[in-house]
Amino acid sequence: MASVGIPRALLYYQYYPMWKTFFEELGASVRVSTPTTRATLSAGIERLVAETCLPVKVYCGHVLELAAQVDYVFVPAVRSLEPKVLNCSKFLGLPDLVRAVAPEAPPLLDPEIDLDQKSSEDRFRLPPTSEISFKARVIFYQTVYQVGRRFTSNPLRIRAAAENAWRVHQDYACLMQTGLTPPEAIARWEGDRCPSNASRVATAREEHTIALIGHPYNLYDTYITHNLVAKLRGLGVRILTSEMVTPEELRQGIVDLAGQPYWTYEDEVVGAAGYYIRDGRVDGLISVDSFGCGPDSTLVDVVRRAAREVRRPFMSLVIDEHTGEAGLVTRLEAFVDMLARRKGRMK
Amino acid sequence: MKVCAPHMGTLYVALRALFEGLGTEIVVPPPCSRRTLSLGTKYSPEFVCLPYKMLLGNFIEALEMGADTLVMIEGDRICRLGYYMRVMEHALRDLGYHFEVITTRIFQRQILGLPDGLRVFAPGAPLAVILSAVRLALCKLNALDAVERVLQRARARELTKGQAGSVWRKAIAAIDRAQNVAAVRAARDDATQVLEAIPQDTDREPLRVGIIGEIYVVLEPFVNMDVERELGRLGVQVHRTIMLSDWTRFTLFLSAVGMSAHDRAHKAAMPYLSRDVGGDGWESVGETVLHAQARFDGMVHLAPFTCMPEIIAQNILIGVRKDVDIPVLSITCDEQMGRAGMITRLEAFVDLLRRRKRTSGRRVVRRDVARSKRFSFGAGSAALPGGKSGRLSGD
Repeated sequence: MASVGIPRALLYYQYYPMWKTFFEELGASVRVSTPTTRATLSAGIERLVAETCLPVKVYCGHVLELAAQVDYVFVPAVRSLEPKVLNCSKFLGLPDLVRAVAPEAPPLLDPEIDLDQKSSEDRFRLPPTSEISFKARVIFYQTVYQVGRRFTSNPLRIRAAAENAWRVHQDYACLMQTGLTPPEAIARWEGDRCPSNASRVATAREEHTIALIGHPYNLYDTYITHNLVAKLRGLGVRILTSEMVTPEELRQGIVDLAGQPYWTYEDEVVGAAGYYIRDGRVDGLISVDSFGCGPDSTLVDVVRRAAREVRRPFMSLVIDEHTGEAGLVTRLEAFVDMLARRKGRMK
Repeated sequence: MKVCAPHMGTLYVALRALFEGLGTEIVVPPPCSRRTLSLGTKYSPEFVCLPYKMLLGNFIEALEMGADTLVMIEGDRICRLGYYMRVMEHALRDLGYHFEVITTRIFQRQILGLPDGLRVFAPGAPLAVILSAVRLALCKLNALDAVERVLQRARARELTKGQAGSVWRKAIAAIDRAQNVAAVRAARDDATQVLEAIPQDTDREPLRVGIIGEIYVVLEPFVNMDVERELGRLGVQVHRTIMLSDWTRFTLFLSAVGMSAHDRAHKAAMPYLSRDVGGDGWESVGETVLHAQARFDGMVHLAPFTCMPEIIAQNILIGVRKDVDIPVLSITCDEQMGRAGMITRLEAFVDLLRRRKRTSGRRVVRRDVARSKRFSFGAGSAALPGGKSGRLSGD
């Protein structure tokens, strides 16, 4: 039985249940790398140019961990999920990057997901349509089929696996909209009925609501953000993130803040910020971005401006491989204290 | 309407010709300077890339001079360029400026879209006027690039350093002043003649180095600390892969008939980077391979700090330069960059290239040995001079 490795980094937090279902239905065994540790990060840092952003370093660390354990590593190149909205270069170049810096990795499963393809008649249509073209759909199905063909030659089986995977993905998305974070939702999905996560104990005394603005792969990597979510919950904070917002609300949030969508995964973040700012439910916003992140560098500015306009406190945390835990805790505590004082004053 | 467009190398010469031809008033911001950079940095998000900061500085200086319409090119949709104006507009309005923004999408319909696009600036202008303005502007771009190619040759060989540079500055001014195509061509021929007449050191065969990287930092001498001049001073003939005239020729004309300026580079990059990652990342990888095949002595790779496509390219180049055996010096440009540090690195790099070239006779033999070894033992080329230089250039 072939084994597929999935690095616990980047898009893992958004799509893991879907990927796992797909590969297991095809008869492969799925292995996820262990949660990030200092060793994972150092392994990634060693291989990459210093300027590379933190999540990509973490990703390479995870691939290196899997290298000796599996037959394939799944490293998709997600170019676009809708027309005219592309992804940051790092997602596009990921398979080639991994191949360049981790030559010892086993063969990569590197489908290119690109729904931005124009069909020939669309080329001359002005303005271009925003619907996914027929050609893009065909290419997408071909891509899925090509991945599946490594495990089975039966196209019907690949089709069934893909459909099941998609259903699982939708369930997973619904689960998160109820207020679970991706790791909690994954644990729930995998049948862990009583998550031993200490953070849920704090539910009783949630005094503040904070929107956490940031990429899932930064927010929920407990090593690189020093367990930020649990720390905030420990301080009596209810956390709202981008996974808890429906796609329509996200779209509205993007229009509010930045006009047209631009980067796929950045838009999820900025859309959530726009939604929570308009919604008025949150007492404050904290953005978590990694040092050197291109999209974040411009969008955090947009969010900061929007938060200032509606007079909501906003704090930007920049994380990198050197982030000290004590400094982070101090800033979080200060922010929560400030929220408490602000509430007292407003009463 | 007082139009302003940001600087990028000698682009302003063409833009001035274009807008004056259309009868639109144009405000050319002062040349990029320390002031431009510090103004831009002050009002920019901290980690945004250097071109953003420079462009914002240009706009502020132009608005101070009375510009009221800002022209901005809308780039592809992967790198930050397409997002610049959304953030910049807020920053400039916060500073209290009133202006209109016109973003051009000349990529979309090539030459056919150009007249319509330009009528925004000159409503009701007859087609003949628009076409002659475009022709003069393109003619100036081509002339400047033609002179610059001669300059790159002359700089590496001149006996008195700096002579060619001063001819170049005069040539820019003369081409900028020229009012018609004939005058532009005369200025071009003049400058070429003067450059070719500069006394040259004929004994020394200059090193040949290719310059690759992100288009803005490659084209704007202020932000790359005039790397071409410094290399010329060290006796290096540079070959810049990005020339403005090539870029306009392809985006406006040849891509309409399905040709791409970069097909060769993309094909060469395929084994290392198989798809576009935005900006100029794909080309940087491909051009490195092509230059190695053309037996260049080395490559200088320029990128702004935190540039997403170029970071991907830089990571991939580590493997490429070992594979195709060409040293690559990656230089990151940002507002903290110092001239002395840059020159030291260039000098060390050029020394390395010289030594490599001097020992190249021996090296060829050793490479053949290595090649036969590789066939018998697998990867065995890591200990070769190429591998060593690779480490040095990793910095």
